[in-house]
Amino acid sequence: MSTILASVAVQNGSPSRASLEVLSRARQIADGQGATCAAVVLSPDASAVADELARYGAQKVYTVSDPIFARHINTPVLTALEAVIAEAQPSIVVFPSSEGVKDVLGALAVRTGAAVLPDVASVEMKDGGVEALRPVMAAKFMARTRAEGDLVLVSVRAGSYEAVEAPTEAAVEEIVFSFDEATLRQTLREVVGSTAGTVDLSDAQVVVAAGRGVKDEAGKQLVEELADVLGAAIGSSRAVVESGMFPATAQIGQTGKVVSPDLYIGVGISGAIQHVAGMSNSRIIVAINTNPDAPIFDVATYGIVGDLYKVLPILIEEIKKVKAVAA
Amino acid sequence: MKFCVCIKQVPDVTAPIQIRAGELSMDAGRVVLNAYDASAVEEALVLTADNDGEVDVVLIGPERATETIRKALAMGADRGAHLVVPEDTELDSAAVSQLLAGHFKDYSYDVILTGKQAQDTDAGLAGGMLAERLGLPYATNAVGLAIEGDQLVVTRQGDTGQEIIVLPTPCLVTCSNDMNNPRIPSLKGVMGAKKKPVDSAPVAEIPEASVRVLGYEPLHTREPGRFIEGEPAEQVAELVNVLELS
Ligand SMILES: Cc1cc2nc3c(=O)[nH]c(=O)nc-3n(C[C@H](O)[C@H](O)[C@H](O)COP(=O)(O)OP(=O)(O)OC[C@H]3O[C@@H](n4cnc5c(N)ncnc54)[C@H](O)[C@@H]3O)c2cc1C
Ligand SMILES: Nc1ncnc2c1ncn2[C@@H]1O[C@H](COP(=O)(O)O)[C@@H](O)[C@H]1O
Repeated sequence: MSTILASVAVQNGSPSRASLEVLSRARQIADGQGATCAAVVLSPDASAVADELARYGAQKVYTVSDPIFARHINTPVLTALEAVIAEAQPSIVVFPSSEGVKDVLGALAVRTGAAVLPDVASVEMKDGGVEALRPVMAAKFMARTRAEGDLVLVSVRAGSYEAVEAPTEAAVEEIVFSFDEATLRQTLREVVGSTAGTVDLSDAQVVVAAGRGVKDEAGKQLVEELADVLGAAIGSSRAVVESGMFPATAQIGQTGKVVSPDLYIGVGISGAIQHVAGMSNSRIIVAINTNPDAPIFDVATYGIVGDLYKVLPILIEEIKKVKAVAA
Repeated sequence: MKFCVCIKQVPDVTAPIQIRAGELSMDAGRVVLNAYDASAVEEALVLTADNDGEVDVVLIGPERATETIRKALAMGADRGAHLVVPEDTELDSAAVSQLLAGHFKDYSYDVILTGKQAQDTDAGLAGGMLAERLGLPYATNAVGLAIEGDQLVVTRQGDTGQEIIVLPTPCLVTCSNDMNNPRIPSLKGVMGAKKKPVDSAPVAEIPEASVRVLGYEPLHTREPGRFIEGEPAEQVAELVNVLELS
């Protein structure tokens, strides 16, 4: 029987939301094909999440446990995934489209002789091949693409599918992994500005995103306060990452991250296509901008033409009030 | 250090584009050097300006893509290689990496740079594929590069922070446009570029693409939105109401 394999990333001890989304999609495809839905986890303690993966439909869980996976380094990830693919013999491997995955996808495809459909918004089996819709031209259009072959690797944009529980029993198979440090022709010297432990932007249900309209420390504080009262993750445009006001991990868009929260609030962001490419899939988009002609209003569900320095303080107070009443 | 930057000519994604009968249709004149590749060229130029070194560029594309090689030469690259394919040849990242791997068999470089992705397709695969084919250590999504002796120090933008990675040479790095702002060629640069060597040769055999594009479709259109009018206090009250934050 063939296998549809979902690659799962562990964050703060749990599978990331984007991972559960691809696992759910893998389960749907497997059910449609009469195939097995399997998951693979690389982590210092991979078996710890096996139960959670079974809850989301994994009938088989391949675990590779090694301390080296505490931080991302591409060579050991490649070696481990190659070993799991050799063992599981999947016809499709689906990945969440994270930076860690983007780092290994091309090399893994060459190593395993696979065809790749990167960063897709949807994926399905059709007439014996794998078809996917991919945003192209800075997400102005969708390209319908098709890959054939014994093995197809697919990475899926965050928020393309819903994570749905489909409880089952999972057989856990620990893949023996030994890594020869001598073959590691790279050293990870350090990780700086790590946001691990905070709400991950791609996983967040509410995002407050700041653009160049946020001009100073006072503006930045307003954005942080709004995010705080909403329990939101903070995103940003490229302009304010460039100016150093927000960290690069906050950048949303073609170069940055793809987000698809229930609620995205863009403040002082013009809505350049390269930014919109990363957030147009949000369920509700609110834009606050002084310029009524700003392109962000073309994708906004609710547009507020106004000065963020006037609107945000009132908005923060109002939200505090309603939260206090609700509590 | 000797650098080679792989560059692609891409349609200008900010130009008007329509879909006609499942194909993308745009003003063919609006083509540009892929922005991510421009950052890679810029970084190579900066790194070789202080240290000794050379910067070559290589491009696979139709005859008219020579202008994109000239653009890189005008920025300051030393020499270009053009692997010429017929107009409208479809090459996916796998095919590109295969052709580039063939090209690099005949040359020796300390560092090969690519863009992190092509701006038109956002595939982001060719760099990693090429590194694997050449058996080179690599890093992707670099936002900073520095030379340390005969090693390269890469600042990579990862999911949760910036990873500082040390690579021996030869190696391959894929570059983000967050790395720098590419220079605009000076008039002198543009004139000088005309005299720089470009080796151009037709591609003997076009590799078959493993991924085919069946056609293009518009995005799902979003429900039309609306402006919330009034004074800030009124706008906020209405927003809190429609978002059902209470
Ligand atoms: C290859 C490539 C990739 C890129 N990738 C990305 C990416 O991943 N993410 C990204 O964001 N960008 C990306 N960009 C950059 C993008 O093109 C824009 O330059 C950038 O998004 C602009 O950021 P901004 O909207 O904050 O700034 P601006 O365009 O300067 O807009 C600022 C806005 O703030 C408004 N404003 C000013 N004052 C106030 C106020 N007091 N109150 C309310 N509103 C106010 C203004 O009306 C204006 O609309 C990329 C560009 C290229 C070429
Ligand atoms: N036709 C091409 N010629 C030369 N380099 C290319 C070509 N296509 C892609 N590349 C390189 O590979 C990178 C990634 O491309 P892609 O995998 O298509 O997103 C680009 O940024 C370029 O550096």
